[in-house]
Amino acid sequence: MKICVLVKEVPDAAVEKRIDPSTGRLDRSGERNLNPYDTHAIEAAMQIREGGSDVEEIVAVTMGPESAVRALHKAVSLGADRSVHLSDDSLAGSDVAATGYALAKTLQRESPDLVLLGQQSDDGECYTIGAVVADHLQMPSLTQVIKLDVEDGAKLRCERQAEYGYDTVSVEMPAVISVGDAINEPRYPSLKAIMGAKKKPLDAVAAGDVGIESDHVGEAGSQVQCGDFKPPPEKAGGEIIEDEDTDETVEKIVAWLDERKLL
Amino acid sequence: MVGRVSTAAAPAALSLIPSQEETLLREAVSGICRQFGREYMQQKRDSGGPPSELWEALASRGYMGVNIPEEYDGGGLGMAALSAVGEEIAAAGCALLLIVVSPAIVGSILVRHGTPEQKERWLRGIGAGTTKVAFAITEADAGTNSHNLATSLRRDDGRFLLNGQKTFISGVEDADAVCVVARTRTSDGGLGLPSLAIVDVDAPGFTRQQIPMAVRGADKQWTLFFDDVELEEERLVGGENGGLGVVFDGLNPERIMGASISTGIGRLALERGAAYARERRVWGQPIGAHQGVAHPLAEAKIELELARLMTQKAAALYDAGAPGAGEAANMAKYAAAEAGIHCVDRAIQAHGGNGFALEYGLSDLWWGVRVARTAPVSREMVLNYVAEHSLGLPKSY
Repeated sequence: MKICVLVKEVPDAAVEKRIDPSTGRLDRSGERNLNPYDTHAIEAAMQIREGGSDVEEIVAVTMGPESAVRALHKAVSLGADRSVHLSDDSLAGSDVAATGYALAKTLQRESPDLVLLGQQSDDGECYTIGAVVADHLQMPSLTQVIKLDVEDGAKLRCERQAEYGYDTVSVEMPAVISVGDAINEPRYPSLKAIMGAKKKPLDAVAAGDVGIESDHVGEAGSQVQCGDFKPPPEKAGGEIIEDEDTDETVEKIVAWLDERKLL
Repeated sequence: MVGRVSTAAAPAALSLIPSQEETLLREAVSGICRQFGREYMQQKRDSGGPPSELWEALASRGYMGVNIPEEYDGGGLGMAALSAVGEEIAAAGCALLLIVVSPAIVGSILVRHGTPEQKERWLRGIGAGTTKVAFAITEADAGTNSHNLATSLRRDDGRFLLNGQKTFISGVEDADAVCVVARTRTSDGGLGLPSLAIVDVDAPGFTRQQIPMAVRGADKQWTLFFDDVELEEERLVGGENGGLGVVFDGLNPERIMGASISTGIGRLALERGAAYARERRVWGQPIGAHQGVAHPLAEAKIELELARLMTQKAAALYDAGAPGAGEAANMAKYAAAEAGIHCVDRAIQAHGGNGFALEYGLSDLWWGVRVARTAPVSREMVLNYVAEHSLGLPKSY
């Protein structure tokens, strides 16, 4: 089995997110890191391998500028065997649909049996890239998966987290599965894995290498129009009810809830 | 900063931009330690057991011997990397003293002075983090004057007999052996130059007594007693009468690690102090908006970053075998201890009464960082060293 894990370089969680008013896009300057949700996808791939399935290769795949190599190095330090970096000036400004198309074209070259990814990126938080990739690859797709077992080497039994509870779904491979952070606890890399990361093969590819049509990507190939972003309205300060007399306090809370038709 | 260390003297280079390897190393060590955290350390301290699970979690991933050459199962990354590991452990609230003594002091001495057999027997385990060796130099009657050590090694029928006492020895409870600084008896009954001997913790004639300490860490302090402890000659590192030069190859790494732990504690305290000053509101605004609260924290941050830089310089010089490593290690230890103390003190001050409440985790840090002004070498002795060696002033003692 070959598993490809889609990974993304995102602004570090400690960096405050903002829209760059000059471009209308998310400001991705400052410290960056591997999307934390993707570390769960790498760990899921490792656990499939360690669980006894015949995993021939785990390949980390990303699309991004030159700096995204750092996310790939971290991905291989966490266990991927090699990585693929899709980078091309023509890809800048791609929206989710265009990015999904470009990633799907890159994945086609790898012919994976299973594509794993984090359910969301820590920056854009679209939750949709897996579904777009699956659509292009004509593979079944599941999102928000928090338990994953390989059955008979060709099927996956997944539990996905839904608003009303959990769905248990069986899918045939090849498939695209986006995982939630409840699926596992990602391991910390060993020193050896960190120091060896740069020695693992990294395949740098441009849009043309994987057959990406230039009018399908970048600003020209994107449908989403960005602009006119405004900061969210400030929340009004809450009302503090001091508990001086408990009976009175309860009455005040009940009245407050009643007023808002919450009772 | 973190890069492969050549065994030959190389030009000292200090990269001011952390490499990705260093970033990942720090991230991994910090993440592992935060899984254990303050509660684990408190539980270990209260139960009296060593923090073995934390050590094992770090050692099994190769982080406890990062400074030891790869041929002896270490990471081959020198003191620069061990300093980063020590700082991250402390910054996660899990400061470990055994990392100062085992890989930093004893490991560094064995790398430079161990015989191939000694390296095989001791260094390989230190590199892998599976062997822990404590270090014993301090004596009650010698204090800072290492020339006055009285613990002795006497030749007796083809072996050595070790006699004497050591005090304020860290982490013996979790060590396999102790590297003891002792002086060999000369034929006229006097004492020769210092020698280093590795003594098993369960050797007959070797006993110890715990010293109750104010420091709220998981490692303990001990007074050690050696009463005719028999040692084979192969236990002497650097040979008989190896001298203080051999010892100092371990003491400079000790200072670098002392500095790293201080800056780690300083980072932790300042992080908490600044977070509190951003969130705590009095008179309708965060207390951090008042310069009386903000400036002391900012001042401590500047001191902290300067101390971190000097610590990194000391490690780079030591790893390169370059001149000036001793001076830089002393300066780093001094600067880091003072910066760490200021960070904790000011974080406590910013917290008001909460600075003393155990749940805020600041008072826990106080003695751990305050001890750095006194040990492993006192602030005053560092000033003496700098006055004499850096400024050419007359020796004052």
